[in-house]
Amino acid sequence: MKHKTSSIYKGYGVFLIPGIIAFLVIIIIPFLVNLGISFTKWSGVRAPVWIGLSNYQRLIGDSVFWLSFRNNLILLIAMTVIPVIVGLLLATFLFDYIANNFGQRVSSFFRAGFYLPQILPSAVIGIVWAWILQPDWGVVNYILKAIGLSSLAHDWLGDPSTALLAVMVVMVWFQIGYPVVIFMAALQRVEPELLEAASIDGASWFQKFYYITIHLIRPEILVVILTTTIYTLKIFGQVYVLTGGGPGNATSVPSYYAYKQFFETQQVGYGSTVSLAMAVIIVLLTILFINIQSRQENAESV
Amino acid sequence: MAAHLMIDRKYRPKNGVVKWITLIVLSVFLLLMLMPFIMVAMNSVKTEAEFARYGPLSLPHGLNFTSLKDFWVRVNFTQPLKNSTIISLSVAVLAVLLSLLNAFALGLGKVRGRIWILVFFLMANFLPQEALAYPLYYFAKFFHLYDKTLSVILVFMVIQSAFGTYLLSSVFSTFPREIIEAALMDGCSKLKLLVYLVAPLSIPTLSVLFVFFFIWTWNEFFLPLILLPSNASQTVPLALAINQGQYGMNITAQSASGLLGILPCIIFFLIFQRTLTRGITAGGIK
Amino acid sequence: MVTKIFKLVSLVLTGAMILGMAACQSATPAPATATQPPAATATQAPVATQAPSATPQPRVLDLWYYEPPDGSLGKAWAAAQQQFLATHPGVTIHFELHTFEQLQKTAQMVLNSSSAPDLIEINKGAANAGTFAVDGLLTDMTTEATKRGWDKILSPSIQTTCLYDPTTGIMGSGNLYGVTDYGEFVMLYYNQDMFTKYGIKVPTTADELYAAADAFVAKGITPFATAGAEYPAQQIFYMLALSKANRDFVTNYQLLKGIDFHGPEFTYGATEMVTWVQKGYISKNAVNMKAQDMQNDFEAGKNPMLMGGSWLFGGFQTAKLPFTWSEELWPGNQISPGSGGNLWAIPAGSKNKDLAYDFIDITLSKPIQTLMGNAGGLPINADTSQITDPQTQQFNKLFAQLVASDGIGYYPDWPVPGYYADLVSDTQELMNGTKTPSQFLDEIAAPYNAVVKK
Repeated sequence: MKHKTSSIYKGYGVFLIPGIIAFLVIIIIPFLVNLGISFTKWSGVRAPVWIGLSNYQRLIGDSVFWLSFRNNLILLIAMTVIPVIVGLLLATFLFDYIANNFGQRVSSFFRAGFYLPQILPSAVIGIVWAWILQPDWGVVNYILKAIGLSSLAHDWLGDPSTALLAVMVVMVWFQIGYPVVIFMAALQRVEPELLEAASIDGASWFQKFYYITIHLIRPEILVVILTTTIYTLKIFGQVYVLTGGGPGNATSVPSYYAYKQFFETQQVGYGSTVSLAMAVIIVLLTILFINIQSRQENAESV
Repeated sequence: MAAHLMIDRKYRPKNGVVKWITLIVLSVFLLLMLMPFIMVAMNSVKTEAEFARYGPLSLPHGLNFTSLKDFWVRVNFTQPLKNSTIISLSVAVLAVLLSLLNAFALGLGKVRGRIWILVFFLMANFLPQEALAYPLYYFAKFFHLYDKTLSVILVFMVIQSAFGTYLLSSVFSTFPREIIEAALMDGCSKLKLLVYLVAPLSIPTLSVLFVFFFIWTWNEFFLPLILLPSNASQTVPLALAINQGQYGMNITAQSASGLLGILPCIIFFLIFQRTLTRGITAGGIK
Repeated sequence: MVTKIFKLVSLVLTGAMILGMAACQSATPAPATATQPPAATATQAPVATQAPSATPQPRVLDLWYYEPPDGSLGKAWAAAQQQFLATHPGVTIHFELHTFEQLQKTAQMVLNSSSAPDLIEINKGAANAGTFAVDGLLTDMTTEATKRGWDKILSPSIQTTCLYDPTTGIMGSGNLYGVTDYGEFVMLYYNQDMFTKYGIKVPTTADELYAAADAFVAKGITPFATAGAEYPAQQIFYMLALSKANRDFVTNYQLLKGIDFHGPEFTYGATEMVTWVQKGYISKNAVNMKAQDMQNDFEAGKNPMLMGGSWLFGGFQTAKLPFTWSEELWPGNQISPGSGGNLWAIPAGSKNKDLAYDFIDITLSKPIQTLMGNAGGLPINADTSQITDPQTQQFNKLFAQLVASDGIGYYPDWPVPGYYADLVSDTQELMNGTKTPSQFLDEIAAPYNAVVKK
């Protein structure tokens, strides 16, 4: 019996072969190339010049980089914490309450609506939010002035004390749809009988939500937390069109900083260094996360 | 199928009014979320002069589609539309398949070192795209794939399947072990297990992946910019950049073409929404 | 269950089919088809395909540029294409209208590949053309230029943007790697009607400029439109600095010979710009505005004056602004920002260099240049008597005057690759007051001096 049980867990490796080959060529080798380039000085076309650890030394003392890193951490609040919490609540609300009272189509309609910001191209996001946040005639300041709160009107994207906050608001708007869609698909795995049984036992809405629902869709929750975190640590496009990292470096992010080195200042070696530094941080976070996840999965299957 | 819809009478509010109020509140919230879209749409039908003179927050004085027409002709829009569709569909299909294969091994089979293998796959998401640009550029040239859509398809197949592998393997690990073991001991081969049991059970997640991969690939700008220099192979987001000139931007054209550019994604999402909700309850396993 | 499998299988088949289509599509290279020369609406769709038959393959000139077809350059170059086809029977043009963003970011990569065209528009400056020259990606056109007499057409200050040192990439001397057929400069645009309405005199000297600005501020109007998120704000700084500069300063700055950032020129530029913000000449709210917003504000009559480039002229004309407007050289400056235009360059690997040279020739010819002038552009070889519109004639005269008085000052971001982004971000801080002028100057000195040290 034991022999048979262990044998059913063998032989899965073959299914990994296509994936491993593809990833080696398209991701791993470029990754290693990047590592190599980070020890050089290179303009992108002629031969690179070896300079050892100079780029890394430079990175450690680079205050602009560390400022952009700090900005990135702050953005995590807007792009991971809030979307996950709000997304979870919203998804459950749509899936249970709205679907039960108004039908599947209505809840699908709302889901599509909340997801729509994720489809809009970055360039358009930049333009339209500039209209909303414009200091002289933008929607936000217009409303503030109209209701008599004109002292609260700011140059949201141009004032260094509010720029990052404004970017955060835009990113919450942008990001909410993603967890909603994933969680709503995940909620399908929650067997209604479980919830019924709990109700009969007298459980409150919150107890059901916390002990049953969240517990059952934990894999998706963890996936969303990790993927949004990784996405945040690589964010570039939307920040670029909203503020270009400005004013000054108030909304600068590491990914844009790396991009600048690669494609504007022609310092490909340093760009690789910045990218790798971020990648290392992401790797560490990921390993930590997946370990936690795996431990929970093992606990489940016992 | 609709079992989970007809649950608990306890969920029904005692008061019908409360339910309508919540719907209205939710709708207002949705309207706020979608206000930017409405603004973009409003400005898509203005003329450039109208936009410059009255600003973006004014209502359009009638419908003007000249900027859209000019844009369409200027970039020969059917070409990038075709390229984007082929690329996004191919990536969606291939990445889902690849994710399925990977996740099957990692989520169900306890392959040795599965954490490290998962991290290996997730590495596709660790490096920002600009770090991949130069190596992939040289690779593409080397394999004679520079300026060919296949290069972009292969690259994004890999990148997207990193997410797919991760999500799917997490979901697979919740599958009840007993069923899997029972099927395998009954002599079911692993391939059959995958195709007849596991895959059908994960259709909601597979659909999510399919939709996401299509949309994400459609909106990709940077790597296609690097790998597809000539106009015959460019994708929709690359074509949209025509509205951004060296010194200024044609805003009405950008708004109009921006909305046009995502129309296929919206249509795709709406079509596939139905598969996202067609659930299979665990009872189906039996 | 069966339906689920069916779905899966059909998905796989669809995937295989699509992949097959994609592979087939990428197997055939982008066809070099005969393109009808762009007419009023420039298309890049191949209209008719010349079927290659037993006769030898017709030659094709592969041409890429990013100037929009409705601008003066687009119109002139479309006409040049027509003329090229007329004078080169049996030769066709494969023309691709590209996006500025793409050629700006990927020019180096494209030039270094077999997908490079025969003739391409590139950006001038050490960071662009200079880098490509050093990388060996461009054809040296020096001898050809002398042969065809281009060196007579391009005046010395215009030629500066065409010459690059093949080892250092520094602009201004060396070989001719690019040829420009137009010029640009930054000037004062003003809304005549607003001056009349408030009884303010249109300025012709620096003192009058400040008097006018003060007068507008007193009426509650911000005198100058600008944009802090893109190039305009740094051009204000540079223009102000240039008012205290001489030719040697500009040469030393641009050719990376090194300058004193805390010297009188840049110090004045920085401190004066802060004064402008404090006095309300430019709005602090412009810190995050884009250049297009600045144009829109001027066109909407929000600001009476605009420090703007010649590239805006044609657009203002086409927009048929609802007020009388005019332009003049910036009052009080001997030197203003300006230069030769973007460059025609021939990738080193081109097999049709002779055709490319011919095309450049045509764009430099008097008829095409005059057409450009009449369309609101700034040609360098036009028959100015043939320019019909008086305002356009005046506009061209201003440029000629600037060139003749050796007043071309180039642009502040040229000396160092990537300098543009630094200048944008630092100027924003200067405008916001988060950096003092002295700190600002230190900030912008750093990348410059890092390059000079090498």
